[in-house]
Amino acid sequence: MKRVLGVALGILTAIGGFVDIGDLVTNAVVGSRFGLSLVWVVGVGVLGICLFANMSGRVAAASGRATFEVIRERLGPRAGLVNLSGSFLINLMTVTAEIGGIALALQLASSVHYLMWIPVAAVAVWLVIWRVKFSIMENVTGLLGLTLIVFAVALFLLKPDWGALAGQALAAAVPAEETASSYWYYAIALFGAAMTPYEVFFFSSGAVEEGWSIKDLIQSRIDVLVGFPLGGLLSVAIAGCAAVVLLPAGIAVTSLSQIILPVAEGAGKVGLAFVLVGLVAATFGAALETTLSSGYTLAQFFGWSWGKFRRPAQAARFHLAMIICLLIGMAVLATGVDPVLITEYSVVFSAIALPLTYLPILIVANDPQYMGEHVNGRPVNVLGMVYLVIILVASLAAIPLMIVTGAGS
Amino acid sequence: MKTYRPLAPVPPIAGRILDAQLHLLDRQVLDNDGVPVTTVDDVELSAPEEETVIAPGTPAPIITALLTGPVLGTRIFGGRPPSSRLVRIPWKDVADVGVVVRLGVSGENLESGWVERWIRDKIIARIPGGRHDPR
Repeated sequence: MKRVLGVALGILTAIGGFVDIGDLVTNAVVGSRFGLSLVWVVGVGVLGICLFANMSGRVAAASGRATFEVIRERLGPRAGLVNLSGSFLINLMTVTAEIGGIALALQLASSVHYLMWIPVAAVAVWLVIWRVKFSIMENVTGLLGLTLIVFAVALFLLKPDWGALAGQALAAAVPAEETASSYWYYAIALFGAAMTPYEVFFFSSGAVEEGWSIKDLIQSRIDVLVGFPLGGLLSVAIAGCAAVVLLPAGIAVTSLSQIILPVAEGAGKVGLAFVLVGLVAATFGAALETTLSSGYTLAQFFGWSWGKFRRPAQAARFHLAMIICLLIGMAVLATGVDPVLITEYSVVFSAIALPLTYLPILIVANDPQYMGEHVNGRPVNVLGMVYLVIILVASLAAIPLMIVTGAGS
Repeated sequence: MKTYRPLAPVPPIAGRILDAQLHLLDRQVLDNDGVPVTTVDDVELSAPEEETVIAPGTPAPIITALLTGPVLGTRIFGGRPPSSRLVRIPWKDVADVGVVVRLGVSGENLESGWVERWIRDKIIARIPGGRHDPR
């Protein structure tokens, strides 16, 4: 019974924790401009994150080593530092976007300007990291994030023409008023939003935080293989809502209030209440994960003591690094730059940096010295190689497409 | 022109063979409580004085210490840091070399931990709750 509850809890938190500000914004933007014609990308991205989250979890459980320790050992200091700089900067950008997201969600709930909420959000994130137990932190934000299911409920209540939606999704084509290059630009953005590297840093470091052994792997595999695809369905529901309400009205999403507009229309005030809780929980949970990830990457590369399972005084540089990251994020937001814009860029830069994270994991997951008998099987390797090609193509195409499309505008 | 004697063949060794590049460099160092201390940046060998003739039959050099310290710069851009920049972890403190290097001593007294200790004592421990055990 306890086992079943554990699995259920794991699945629920995986669903609720899947969506972050990147998924929210990108899916809504894509839904409002391309309908459901890019839904296949969410599928590709979700399968990819399942594959690599699982692999990094297995590396952590079998060897006790988190991703970035392994990256430095395998790539050496030079390539490792290049990798660290790229991953860390993009992660910092994501931290900034998530804190901005919390503030925007609180603005929607309170009508107090979001700049006033930014210090509140950043301090709250720090307090949780400083004080709250890892498992409680994960479970509470994950469960509250489940309220985003209201997007799916709203989609049903909007009574859309399901045949037309399915037609958009299955016979994917570039809409007449959009160019092929912006279609592919947003395909890469969606892919980057689904496969954000921080999820892998966080997943593997979390496995070490919670002291996983090989025995716990089955549970984590169920959590990932069931929870992430269901979380992906939430992403699709967000895009669907935008496709049903915003696309016909000709509204291209540029703010958080437009993202929740279809929910208000479909599910009324109750729906609005749920979606506001969901927005705050999802962005807050992701802000915790990204802030911890920036600490994890730095500490693991430089060999510092790290982990929330230790007293802060026993992981001093780790905690100081996270405090500095939060201060930088706050400083960037204080300039008044639009958090939604930061989000849109952060997912594309994530896509560019994907090979930096995923290649070393694939290499180490095949190294018997770390993995013993738990090295990758052949099917996993074949799938991993296929994904590596997709990741490389997306990464190389991102910058040219960004220039050609003027960042999708 | 100087002629070089061919090197003596590698003597048969019982046990594991470690490749310094593969198994030591950039490995995480943990102390006896499993707390990360640092990563390995270099290895110190018991080398004879420079410019001396090595007599045949001299025993092979042995590892005397693992080296670490703020030397990432020279490792990346080349050059050699002054010895004073390097922090030694004597080889006798090393208990095990696996996917991590385990020490048999507490990290608390190691010279390589001074930055961590300074940040702990001057900043982190002074913030309320800094010594609170999350478990």
